[in-house]
Amino acid sequence: MKINTLKNRIIFTLVAFMAISCSDDFVNVTSENESADNYFNSEEEYQQALIGAYDLLQATYLNVMIGEIASDNTLAGGESANDVIGFQQIDKMTHNPLNQQLRDIWNWMFAGVNRANYILQYQDKTEFDGRTQVIAQARFLRAYYYFELVKFFGAVPLVIDKPLAFGDQFDIARTPASEVYDQIEADLIFAAENLPANQAQKGRITSGAANALLGKAYLYQNQFSEAAVALEKVIAGPYMLVTDYESIFEPEGENGTESVFEVQYTDEEGAGFGCLQCSEGNVAVGFNGIRNFNGPTFDSGFSFNLPLQETVDAFEAGDIRKDVAILDIEEFASQTGATYVEGYEHTGYYNRKYIARKGDLNTGDANLTNPNNYRAIRFADVLLMAAEANFKKSPPDEGKAREYLNRVRVRAELDPVQLSGNALLDQIYKDRRSELVGEGHRFFDLVRTGRAASAIDGFVVGKHELFPIPAIEIQLAGNNWEQNPNY
Amino acid sequence: MKRFTCLLIVLFGGIVSMFSQSIAVQGTVTDENNVPLLGVNVLVKNESRGTTTDFDGNFKIENVKSGDILQFSYIGFLPKEFTITGNQSLNVQLLTDSESLEEVVVIGYGTQAKKEITGAVSVVGSKTIEELNPVRVEQALQGRVAGVNITSTSGSPGSAATISIRGISTNGDSRPLILVDGAVIEDLSVINPNDIESISVLKDATAGIYGVRAANGVILITTKGGQKNTDLRVEVDTYTGVQETSRKLPVLNATEYAVIINEAFAAGGQTPPFNDFSVLGEGTDYQDEIFREAFISDVNVNIYGGGEKATYSAGGGYLNQDGIVGGSGTNFERVSARGSFDYDILENLKLSTTSIYTHSNRSTLSENSLGSVLFNAINMAPTIPIFDADGEYSLAEGLGNEVINPIAQIANTYNNAQVDKITGTVGLAYDFFDHFTAEARYQFNYSEVRENSFFPEAFYGSGKVFNISEGRNVVNESTDYYRDYTFDAFISYNNSFNDVHNVTALLGTSVFKTTGDSYGFTGFNIPGNIYENASIENASDVVDNYLNVSNRIFDSRLLSYFARLQYNYDQKYLVSAVIRRDGSSNFGPNNKFGYFPSASVGWVMSEESFFENNIVNFFKLRSSYGILGNDRIGAYGYTSLLDAEGAYVFDNTLYYGVAAGRLSNPNLQWEEQTAFDIGIDARLFNSKLDLTVDYFKRQTDNLLLVPQVSGILGVGAPGAGAPIVNAGSVENKGWEFSLSYKEVVSDDFDFNISYNLTTLENEVLSVANENGFVSGGFFAVGQGEDPARMEAGQPIGYFYGLETNGIFQNATEIANSATQVNANPGDLRYVDQNNDGVIDTDDRINIGDPIPDLTMGLNIGFNFKNFDFSAYAFASVGNEIVRAYDRNEIRTNKTSYVLDRWTGSGTSNVYPRVNIGPNSNNVFSDFYVEDASYVRLQNVQLGYSLNNRITDQLGIRKLRFYVSVNNAFTLTEYNGYDPSASSGDPIGGGIDQGFYPVPRVYSAGLNFKF
Repeated sequence: MKINTLKNRIIFTLVAFMAISCSDDFVNVTSENESADNYFNSEEEYQQALIGAYDLLQATYLNVMIGEIASDNTLAGGESANDVIGFQQIDKMTHNPLNQQLRDIWNWMFAGVNRANYILQYQDKTEFDGRTQVIAQARFLRAYYYFELVKFFGAVPLVIDKPLAFGDQFDIARTPASEVYDQIEADLIFAAENLPANQAQKGRITSGAANALLGKAYLYQNQFSEAAVALEKVIAGPYMLVTDYESIFEPEGENGTESVFEVQYTDEEGAGFGCLQCSEGNVAVGFNGIRNFNGPTFDSGFSFNLPLQETVDAFEAGDIRKDVAILDIEEFASQTGATYVEGYEHTGYYNRKYIARKGDLNTGDANLTNPNNYRAIRFADVLLMAAEANFKKSPPDEGKAREYLNRVRVRAELDPVQLSGNALLDQIYKDRRSELVGEGHRFFDLVRTGRAASAIDGFVVGKHELFPIPAIEIQLAGNNWEQNPNY
Repeated sequence: MKRFTCLLIVLFGGIVSMFSQSIAVQGTVTDENNVPLLGVNVLVKNESRGTTTDFDGNFKIENVKSGDILQFSYIGFLPKEFTITGNQSLNVQLLTDSESLEEVVVIGYGTQAKKEITGAVSVVGSKTIEELNPVRVEQALQGRVAGVNITSTSGSPGSAATISIRGISTNGDSRPLILVDGAVIEDLSVINPNDIESISVLKDATAGIYGVRAANGVILITTKGGQKNTDLRVEVDTYTGVQETSRKLPVLNATEYAVIINEAFAAGGQTPPFNDFSVLGEGTDYQDEIFREAFISDVNVNIYGGGEKATYSAGGGYLNQDGIVGGSGTNFERVSARGSFDYDILENLKLSTTSIYTHSNRSTLSENSLGSVLFNAINMAPTIPIFDADGEYSLAEGLGNEVINPIAQIANTYNNAQVDKITGTVGLAYDFFDHFTAEARYQFNYSEVRENSFFPEAFYGSGKVFNISEGRNVVNESTDYYRDYTFDAFISYNNSFNDVHNVTALLGTSVFKTTGDSYGFTGFNIPGNIYENASIENASDVVDNYLNVSNRIFDSRLLSYFARLQYNYDQKYLVSAVIRRDGSSNFGPNNKFGYFPSASVGWVMSEESFFENNIVNFFKLRSSYGILGNDRIGAYGYTSLLDAEGAYVFDNTLYYGVAAGRLSNPNLQWEEQTAFDIGIDARLFNSKLDLTVDYFKRQTDNLLLVPQVSGILGVGAPGAGAPIVNAGSVENKGWEFSLSYKEVVSDDFDFNISYNLTTLENEVLSVANENGFVSGGFFAVGQGEDPARMEAGQPIGYFYGLETNGIFQNATEIANSATQVNANPGDLRYVDQNNDGVIDTDDRINIGDPIPDLTMGLNIGFNFKNFDFSAYAFASVGNEIVRAYDRNEIRTNKTSYVLDRWTGSGTSNVYPRVNIGPNSNNVFSDFYVEDASYVRLQNVQLGYSLNNRITDQLGIRKLRFYVSVNNAFTLTEYNGYDPSASSGDPIGGGIDQGFYPVPRVYSAGLNFKF
């Protein structure tokens, strides 16, 4: 009898066990990490997402490198003719739609667009003080990333205020460049109106940055009057040219009075080749660095982006900018006893503004974690753009153009010019090159002013003004887009 | 005739009885381990008389005479005959018959007699494991089981091996499901092979009882337990050995190197750097410096016993293995303890428990990657001595940014992982209503993995990626906790009707939950720059590695119901059907639940009357078909989480924000495999020859893969990524053939031979993403595209590159060929596959794949008197490997094939000229793909056991000494260290970047049982 009771109990227990496990809800598990669909419930969460949107600014190091390598300023360099084939091809204007670096730019800039759009999708979800400022920063960032995209690729798919979901990519067309610019302008006007001229935190976007980028966007569309207006808002203050030109590119010159917009980097966190866009450091600086360098002042790098003799010769005699922009490595080595190895296409010169310097933490991989901020929009650049816009607008204002140009020239310890007409424009162009060499603007300046074909070997008019859309991206978006002309 | 025989016996009986009167014979029957066997049938041949042995294995038979033959038979053992020679006491030892048809095989939630099995199930017993002395369980399977291929991911101590059962059926995680006493085990390194009683490998749809986890095959491991009514038995197994590298690569010596470098510089139009060859001599071969002889030792103690109602066993083991690279820089240490206790609470209520505790400690060096120790040893310039004039490690100047002095690298490597793991099971089985058994089992694992690494300040040369500057030494610490449990409850019903209808039915449910959480920190600037201080507490600028990135916590669950019906008619016609319903939390809300049916049939033709013959003793035809699943993706695989990296700098401070990670895909579901098998099991020649042949075909659809997706979706962001989708299918088909023969020639001599062969044809049927392929792997610096692909019509992970057609001998040949960038005489000539007159990326084709077409295993063993011998060889045919261990930098060293380089028209049509100028010779092509077929003598062992007389006198059961050689030699054409090199990745495996070779081990050991 006793045993029978036990038997029943056991059977009961077994049946009960089976019953307990019968609920299908057991396999409905949610992660403790927030889901992307359930966010933006507090200011904190908006601010956190905004940091995520800023993050991709750091990936623009590649855009800066290509802006130089594609131009007549530099050669690709590197270890060998096969080292980063994408750079080598762009340098020689033999790039094609398979270029990996162009695909990176496409992917990374759209990643920035999506992160900004993620915030903007939920811009009305939760109310708090300062929300408009968050929205304004997000809109500036979206404009910044789209400006890079339209600069490289022309017409690109324009998506506003929502991140694309998987599947959406098959139903989206390339938006004409003019419409993309319209959105860029709208975003920047909003940002300029809603952001302060000074931010408590260095690195935050200001109204000055928004106006400067707006002016630049107008300039790229040849809307010179609008460009002049926007840029002169920046000239009105609070920016000033730094007296000591050399100091601008050293660590102490970061976020100085000349800095209108600056991409912030740090050497605190490690990085690897597996995810270059993940680095918190300026990857370009290591890539530009001196090959196998051993000596004072500088750190070693991969010897890409090497200035040509012609670039060096383009400086006027007495231009103090030359020795800041260009490092004559042979001379430097003979003076200091430093050693280095000549890489591919060795010219004897390095891009001194953005090569690795001693004194940082060198967190591994030290080549990828250089802390040098990228001075994306300098006040000198604004003055030169304003000079160009005033010269080209109708009616032109050569007086202002000369004034802005001379402010930049005087700082470079050169005599002011009294030129007018095309001679003045040529001088603006010349000083623009000398002032900004190594900073990633040259190729796009040549293209937008129609001078690329005469300056760049292999440049084909009607083709190389734009880079090709990566072929695989056309495929992955359902083969609905036409390639840029002649690729 | 019979009467005549009787007459003869009567006639001669009187004479014979003069010296062989009717006598009584008594004795003891034991197994090989001198364990007494209960219930052994003892028959007098040609008479119906007989008896069985008692608890102590004793028997006594009266009224026999000299010349009579006694037959001993017992399930699971080879029968034995014994001729009576006098009034004697017999000690009869029966040998285990691992192939016995009556033996029961673990098939998942139950066992089945081998004879009745309708699926393709292979078993490896403890005896095989004992013969091989494997450090890891996987090594016991390689070449032993047809259809199971084991590839080492490294020869370093404690490194993992990849198990693939019947091919590679997924681009994702192709590991089989492994259960140890019912508990899921992902890392086999924590299992001591000495603890294993048997391993069952479910290769076909039979595995369907495990439903959504069965598609990669299922391996069921049973640990050792005690036997009822046996005295305490103790077994000690130990060995110690010396390991050495099986190969060193021929690299250039300093003089040869200087000649080649000068030639390359001259060819590139630059000044040759070496002026005086006479001072160079041989220089340094860094391989000589890093390869060491290394020790290995292993000791295991096990005890067993049991009484009327309870059985128990316990064991402890200790393994210590140094690495052959860098001395004790690589080491694996494992301490394991095990226990089992079974108790019959009531006659029909049985409790069973097992527990395993393992502690392991592993130190590693960087291996099989760019800049790893062996990679550097091959590429380091032989002109650079290990130490410079000041006694410091020489700098590797001018050798590219990744190649550094490997001796310095070893000295500065601190990389350690410790695992503590507890596995426990407890089960109750209850028999009721005569034919029913209800069983409930609870199995759990708990493990802690603690890893730490330290990178001290070091300068290896200018621009080296491994340089650590002052004050910036790095310490990493991480701890991962994993917990899982499985609860199974099932009822089985077993009955026979009319003696011919045999029915077994099973109905059950299973719940599985696995969770884990991870903690990791990186810190800098350890005071004193020494490893002793290297902890996070002592570091500054500490970064929490999990602040925003990745899933720190996971929770993955499975809820299952299953039913199995087995029926046979008179053990002649066999049918089995299984259905399992699985719900997996890894999949999207639209596809969490799936049904996995499978069925198998068998026909024991030898039971048919028409089949009777003297040659074939047993013949079974069987076939199985079923749907299996694979759910091996991480937890929350279908959803989008805010787990990406979003970090930016304000005010020179790094701020961490949030950002969306992988895109979501709510329709995500399991991979679905359709598995078909047809085979035969046969025994011939008095069951001495055992033959199994199988044909299998497995098609996996809905492959889980992460496709390339459009960048406009934002997948290029740090930590973001494409969703996991179901897109693609793969087919594996092939033949398995295994044959074994054993013969007991005399009491002094028996031998066995077994051979198995597996053919495999792997083909990707479709990849349903937009560009039609998935790529992976790494070949060389600066080469944009991945060398390996998965693409329809090709084997998974095939190598995609240019085909070469010799060397350009002169300018005319170049002029007459398709346009090839930078081509000069002496350069590789590529084939213009699409005949467009230009050599470019469109000319790439399939230039090999890492999947062997054929694998074979051969085992030979014999016992002669007190000696035993076994040898075991393994062969792999038709697998290719990519030679990627040459850095091909201007001044890095080269392997000595460059001595056969092209130096002028007609000098070579294989090896291109050396040249530092622009050339296309380093592009991924079949020049870098080699045939890695090989035959390896995996193990040879010779043992000697003390005679029974001596052991009896000493009061012990067995004492055996042996010597063995593991990985004795390898025949291959491959140039690299080890043709078995593979990372194990389905796409990107088989690329050799300095593979840590599997060591050769000379060892001596003893087995001691009392």
